[in-house]
Amino acid sequence: MSTSKKIGFLVTGLLMLAGLAAWGLQLKEGLVLTHMRNSYSWGLYVATLAFFVGNAAGGLVLSSMIYLFGVTSLKPFARIGALCAFANVTAAMFAILPDIGQPVRLYNMLLHPNLVSPLVWDVIVLNLYAGLSLLYLYLLMLPDLRGPLARIAIKVDDPAAFSEKWAKRLAPYMLVAAVGIHVITAWIFATQGARDWWNSAVMAPDFVAAALASGTAVVLIVCVLTYGIKEQYTAAYRALATFIAVAFFTHIFFMYNDFFIHAWYGSTEALDVLAITFKDYLPAHVFEVLAPLAGVILLLNGKVRKSGAAMVSACILLVAGIFVHRFLLMPGAFDRVPLTIAPLGTQDMQWSMPIASGQYNPLGNTFVTSWQYFPSAIEIAIVAGVLAYVGFLILFAIDRLPIVNAQKEST
Amino acid sequence: MNLKRRSFLKMGLAAGAAATLDMRLLNYVGEAAAARSDDAPTVTRTTCSPNCTGACGFNIHVSNGRINTIIQAADYPEQGYNPRGCLRGLSMMNLVYGKDRVKYPLIRTGERGSGEFKKVSWQEALDYTAEKLKGIMAKYGPEAVALTVQVPGTGYVHKGAFVRLAGLAHWSIHHGYDQNGDLPMFWPMTFGVQTEELESLEWPNARYTMVFGSNIIQTRLPDAHNLINAKNNGKLVVFDPDYCSTAAKADEWVALKPDTDAAMGLAMARVIIEKKLYDEKFLQDFTDFPILVRMDNGKRLRAEDVKSLSAQAADQKIPDYRSFFVIQTAAGLAVLNPERLDPSGADLEAALTVELTDGSRVQVRTVFNELKEMLNDYSLEKAAAITDVPAQQIERIATEAAANTPLHAVYGASNYQWYNGDLKGRAISLLPVLTGSIGKSGGGISTYAGQYRIRFNLKEWWSAPGGKLNWVPYLYFLQGKGKRYPKKGIKAMVGGWGNPFDQHNMANRLKDRSASGDIEFVATFDFSMTTSCQWSDVIFPATSWYENYELTATILHPYLQLQQPAVEPMFESRTAFWVARELAKRLNPEFEKYFYPGLDENEASQEIIEVLLKTGGFETRGITLEMLKKGPVRLHSTAPDDRQIPFYEQIHERVAFPPRSYPAPLKATARFLKSGRIEFYRDEDLFLEMGEQLPVQKETFADTEYRVDPAARQKYRLRFVTKNSLYRVHSTHSNNVWLNELQGNKPKVFLNAKDAAQRNINAGDFVEIYNNRGKTKAYAVIDPGCRQGTTIFEQGWWARYLKNESYNSLTMPWIKPLHEIYFVPGIWSPTTVWNECLVDVRRATA
Amino acid sequence: MRRGMVIDLEKCIGCRSCVVACKQHNAQPPGNWWNRVFTPGSHRHLTPPEKGEEYFLPVHCQHCNNAPCEKVCPVKATYRTEDGMIMVDFERCIGCRYCMAACPYGVRQFNWEDPKKAMEKYEYQQDYSYGYPEEFRLDGRLVYMPVRFKGVVEKCNFCAHYADKGLDPACVRGCPGNARHVGDLDDPDSKVSKMIRKKKGFTLLPEKGTRPNVYYLPPRRKEG
Ligand SMILES: Nc1nc2c(c(=O)[nH]1)N[C@H]1C(S)=C(S)[C@@H](COP(=O)(O)OP(=O)(O)OC[C@H]3O[C@@H](n4cnc5c(=O)[nH]c(N)nc54)[C@H](O)[C@@H]3O)O[C@H]1N2
Ligand SMILES: Nc1nc2c(c(=O)[nH]1)N[C@H]1C(S)=C(S)[C@@H](COP(=O)(O)OP(=O)(O)OC[C@H]3O[C@@H](n4cnc5c(=O)[nH]c(N)nc54)[C@H](O)[C@@H]3O)O[C@H]1N2
Ligand code: SF4
Ligand code: SF4
Ligand code: SF4
Ligand code: SF4
Ligand code: SF4
Ligand SMILES: [Mo]
Repeated sequence: MSTSKKIGFLVTGLLMLAGLAAWGLQLKEGLVLTHMRNSYSWGLYVATLAFFVGNAAGGLVLSSMIYLFGVTSLKPFARIGALCAFANVTAAMFAILPDIGQPVRLYNMLLHPNLVSPLVWDVIVLNLYAGLSLLYLYLLMLPDLRGPLARIAIKVDDPAAFSEKWAKRLAPYMLVAAVGIHVITAWIFATQGARDWWNSAVMAPDFVAAALASGTAVVLIVCVLTYGIKEQYTAAYRALATFIAVAFFTHIFFMYNDFFIHAWYGSTEALDVLAITFKDYLPAHVFEVLAPLAGVILLLNGKVRKSGAAMVSACILLVAGIFVHRFLLMPGAFDRVPLTIAPLGTQDMQWSMPIASGQYNPLGNTFVTSWQYFPSAIEIAIVAGVLAYVGFLILFAIDRLPIVNAQKEST
Repeated sequence: MNLKRRSFLKMGLAAGAAATLDMRLLNYVGEAAAARSDDAPTVTRTTCSPNCTGACGFNIHVSNGRINTIIQAADYPEQGYNPRGCLRGLSMMNLVYGKDRVKYPLIRTGERGSGEFKKVSWQEALDYTAEKLKGIMAKYGPEAVALTVQVPGTGYVHKGAFVRLAGLAHWSIHHGYDQNGDLPMFWPMTFGVQTEELESLEWPNARYTMVFGSNIIQTRLPDAHNLINAKNNGKLVVFDPDYCSTAAKADEWVALKPDTDAAMGLAMARVIIEKKLYDEKFLQDFTDFPILVRMDNGKRLRAEDVKSLSAQAADQKIPDYRSFFVIQTAAGLAVLNPERLDPSGADLEAALTVELTDGSRVQVRTVFNELKEMLNDYSLEKAAAITDVPAQQIERIATEAAANTPLHAVYGASNYQWYNGDLKGRAISLLPVLTGSIGKSGGGISTYAGQYRIRFNLKEWWSAPGGKLNWVPYLYFLQGKGKRYPKKGIKAMVGGWGNPFDQHNMANRLKDRSASGDIEFVATFDFSMTTSCQWSDVIFPATSWYENYELTATILHPYLQLQQPAVEPMFESRTAFWVARELAKRLNPEFEKYFYPGLDENEASQEIIEVLLKTGGFETRGITLEMLKKGPVRLHSTAPDDRQIPFYEQIHERVAFPPRSYPAPLKATARFLKSGRIEFYRDEDLFLEMGEQLPVQKETFADTEYRVDPAARQKYRLRFVTKNSLYRVHSTHSNNVWLNELQGNKPKVFLNAKDAAQRNINAGDFVEIYNNRGKTKAYAVIDPGCRQGTTIFEQGWWARYLKNESYNSLTMPWIKPLHEIYFVPGIWSPTTVWNECLVDVRRATA
Repeated sequence: MRRGMVIDLEKCIGCRSCVVACKQHNAQPPGNWWNRVFTPGSHRHLTPPEKGEEYFLPVHCQHCNNAPCEKVCPVKATYRTEDGMIMVDFERCIGCRYCMAACPYGVRQFNWEDPKKAMEKYEYQQDYSYGYPEEFRLDGRLVYMPVRFKGVVEKCNFCAHYADKGLDPACVRGCPGNARHVGDLDDPDSKVSKMIRKKKGFTLLPEKGTRPNVYYLPPRRKEG
């Protein structure tokens, strides 16, 4: 094993352990260790869920581009696509687990599922997608399952053809499942009339667009890191870069389209909500737009694509921007208490009805109308652990499974 | 061993045997308590009794010896009283089980005020106290020991025990009402009573209600719905410089300038008189308006001085506290009978010359003429200039009020707690009197301050044979001088039911005098570790009102109610009765026999309640302890259905004013109302000297702040109004965790936006309120309802919440000399005027 | 039968007795309050808003007919009873707090830490705790317990434990203003239905389409 790999395993392994320990502590003490409170009931964990769900789009992009649209230059990256999808969708589920106050009771989801709850749908599609991407990965790897791995290979006459055939057949279902996880995750938010920030029809399409951008960027990072910059991949990288760019600009279009409509109509509530993003979180908003934009501009540049480091950096800029975008799901929804009332005899003023934060401080306020949220160290540690898990899993899979080498040969 | 009483024992120790053993060591076991099983859930009907004097009936649900829930009993026979209670009563468990609960007898070990104490046995605490008191009594005389008792109505038995002891031991006694400033002196001046008021169930019977500075929605919370009903049955107008919540609920808010209610009342009186909207018959028969006043010396004309009437006057016998005054009727001059209020046919207006017995002739005219002339100074325009209220609005309200009787005027404490509060009260009284609203269902004037008014005869228990009740005005104690102040001073304070070191320490005098050793000994009993406890030498842990028997009353409703123990006394707490008895026998073994030596404290308390009921007079006739154990029982009154309608008998039976004010005999109070009528004209020399023979408007601070320091006008530009908080009863509940949570856990000071801007103060800033007497600190609230020039502080925080600096270091114990004329033991004293105080505010660092 | 509540804002004096009664009887841990009363427009309770008139507004769970909290709950821990009350089953709740995000009225509260431990912050003598002392199950589901589990959501349960005994909710019995009434909204002749009709009852945030079972009657004032 190379040193860099060793360091990779060590770092991701330790971070995972730290995340686990943080979760253990949080299980013991309760979610009081987070900085969420009653008025701000969701935070980093849910944002991270949305982020990883988005990143899981990579699998879909690759498979559909290859098998539905015939972009064969991407073929070598198909397994990485599936692996990234699996890693990210499971990470999404790990990210949400620590958000659950009573995780041991999760079996109630099986015993008493509420079929109108978007959360139940989401759990279903996330699991389905995880299963599908695993299956897909397996199919793609099937021709190369040799040596000790041969034991898990199903016996077929022509594994390569079988793999090809079934990958093609499965691709549409992958597409449905992937769109499913994005749309339904978006619906978790978009269905909520209580939160003007979320309650928009554009939420789902925008979610898909952002996911396509970040999911593809994640795959691209892994590809560049594993395959490096070689002549034979130029077309593939260009295709991915273009795809990312289109997805990103679509996302920007959806987002500003929504803001514009609300700002134009100018209802107090909407303006109030927009103000949170444009005033209180202006730097974050600037980052969520400019960082990916910079990334995309770089990626579109053929010279930049000549450097692996530059490409990876550009992708990281984009992914980081999308992460901030996901984080910004929360302030607009939770910074201000949504029950606003105009004092009798006025109409130009929206006043939030304070709510009990759930936190008692003998020297401070229990009742709040706004709650400035920034994740606690525990939350950050847990999320870092989940991120490390993604890295670890990909590293591990590439190390042990025929993800890369076999493909290299076959092309 | 910190678990003492059974309730807690049960929690820690399973063994019942240990419990009994523990009880024996404590040498206490109440029969009732012992018989009760700790496990069985119980419900006890009892009464919440802090100094808001709301006296609300509650059901206390208990299991395992602990209070689980508290909820209004809502068992008053009239639905209009249900469900009596408030947020404070509903969270009383926070005091009963709170961290500041006084658990054991404590003796001071550190410096005075250091809060360092050692835990001692009752035996030790009582012996120590008795020794100290004996020493002081021997050295300075018994009157050097002063008992402070708060208002009686919140509990007649236990306060009575201490008053009885003080009487036996010949100590001085301070009454709650003069400490509190709750006694509005216009009452004795005008009506000859301590105070009177409608029961709140009568409020909706008014067709017009005027509230002058009484924040009923917060301070009479359980009765506030009756005010809303009054609003819906008639009209509710609130006169208050502050847009308080009561003003917010009113039909109309009159934002008058502080301390200008006299001008307001006088201008409205003038409108009513000019438009002839007054009830002439009423004025003829029930007021001093037709009485003739001598122009030469300003005194009322006495029949014995009038040549043509002196023989007639000499013929009739009247008590010495009455006088024969002279009126003019169609038949000529006549003697006014001060003992009956028969139709007199007296002329309200007359100006003539009469011949006196010495042959001289004087010009006379009626009080009404005098009044009209005086009112010439209160034109609508002038009143508008003084009060800052448009003339047209004043005129309209006066006209409306006169057309919609009965009129009920409520005159609130914060409003009369000014130096010239008596003048305001006299002026406002003119309105219900001119409209003939007195003595009518729903009509009259009421003041709802603390429950100092005693509702029936308490003598049998409050004073013992051989005892004497030696009432000393509290302000004399604070000032260290005064007519009745003991020669060698007051050297020991014994007190309960009050927290004088926060609530009454004006200019920190008590702390300074304690620290300097001028006050040599302080003993306090309380269930909470108040600032006063912190400054005491000995602290006795007291039972709360859910741990003892007590008899209570209030001014808001005429029901007698019991406090009954819902749980056993917590830790080592005991009732005041028991403490009084133990102290009594240590001071003098002879005293013990006056304190039911054979009975335990609960038995004795019940016995005393029975005695009180039996000897209370017609008010308590037929009421028994058994009846009270079932629920509230209405006291009797002279009005139909035992309604609490002041002066009903005077107006409907034409019995002379005043009715009796307990505990004083009638003669002690009636001497201030010599005509037997409602009197607006005062002719004592001092009144004439001060030009206050009739109510007038006087400039705020002219006789107080500006007189002692003319520079105060520039230096301290804000009136310091300290009013009562929704979340506390004075300082009780100061440490209530829920109620503090509801207030953001911070003391507040309210400022007008302009005043704040001038001082560079923003909402939420930590600020200092200061003058040359003291300072305190709080967080600024920019209050659009707060009038410019006034800063409002919600009083009642323990010093520990204010960086150990009480808001009462700012106030000043001014004494208005007129009030001293009205001293009657146990009834009237000069009273504290909290709001007569100038301050300024600046930003502070936390 | 549809159990509803009417709060008469003319009668409400903003005293917060209902808030405290609710806190107490339903054993809410430090920092949690199911019921709250404010002066719209003013952060200082009982202080007038800068603009507009002062009135007081008590808010707790509105027991919505179209309750988003019920719809989002993945495990049906939040559910509707036959008479229209929205309940939380403390044994079922997984603590995902989706319902908190879904409720437009901000009435749902979470047990961020072990309530027993939270209670220590009030510093009572001898581990005292308050509240209705027994668990209460409705149709077998745990809708009230004096000490909650860590990590579950709680909110106004319409005092189901008292309703079971034929008693009005603590906030109703504790309201000295006589401002609160409960009754059957399905019955057009019930006291509450009549009040709503006669006094122009309204609900909060009608634009959210939640169709609450808690109605408010507007405050009134005669013209000067
Ligand atoms: N919650 C609660 N209730 C209580 C008490 C408590 O501590 N807490 N204490 C009880 C006791 S002992 C008392 S004495 C009473 C007192 O109760 P209230 O008589 O209601 O007295 P405050 O609340 O001090 O003030 C009432 C109003 O007087 C106004 N005011 C001040 N100066 C003037 C003035 O010059 N003119 C006019 N027109 N208005 C003025 C103030 O702005 C305030 O709104 O409350 C009793 N009830
Ligand atoms: N600046 C300023 N100061 C004021 C006022 C103001 O408006 N401004 N208001 C004044 C007025 S009106 C009043 S009435 C006074 C009130 O002044 P206080 O009566 O001194 O104030 P409270 O805080 O009610 O004190 C009552 C104490 O008695 C205790 N207590 C209650 N019940 C019992 C019992 O059954 N047994 C025993 N042993 N103790 C008991 C409580 O724990 C509490 O500590 O404050 C006055 N002070
Ligand atoms: S604090 Fe006063 S008003 Fe409140 S319940 Fe007790 S007695 Fe009644
Ligand atoms: S208890 Fe009644 S009057 Fe008081 S705030 Fe609550 S609803 Fe309003
Ligand atoms: S008010 Fe909120 S918690 Fe209550 S039913 Fe409606 S949405 Fe659910
Ligand atoms: S927190 Fe509990 S009640 Fe709320 S949605 Fe999740 S499981 Fe349901
Ligand atoms: S019905 Fe019960 S739980 Fe709901 S607000 Fe009222 S007291 Fe609280
Ligand atoms: Mo008072």
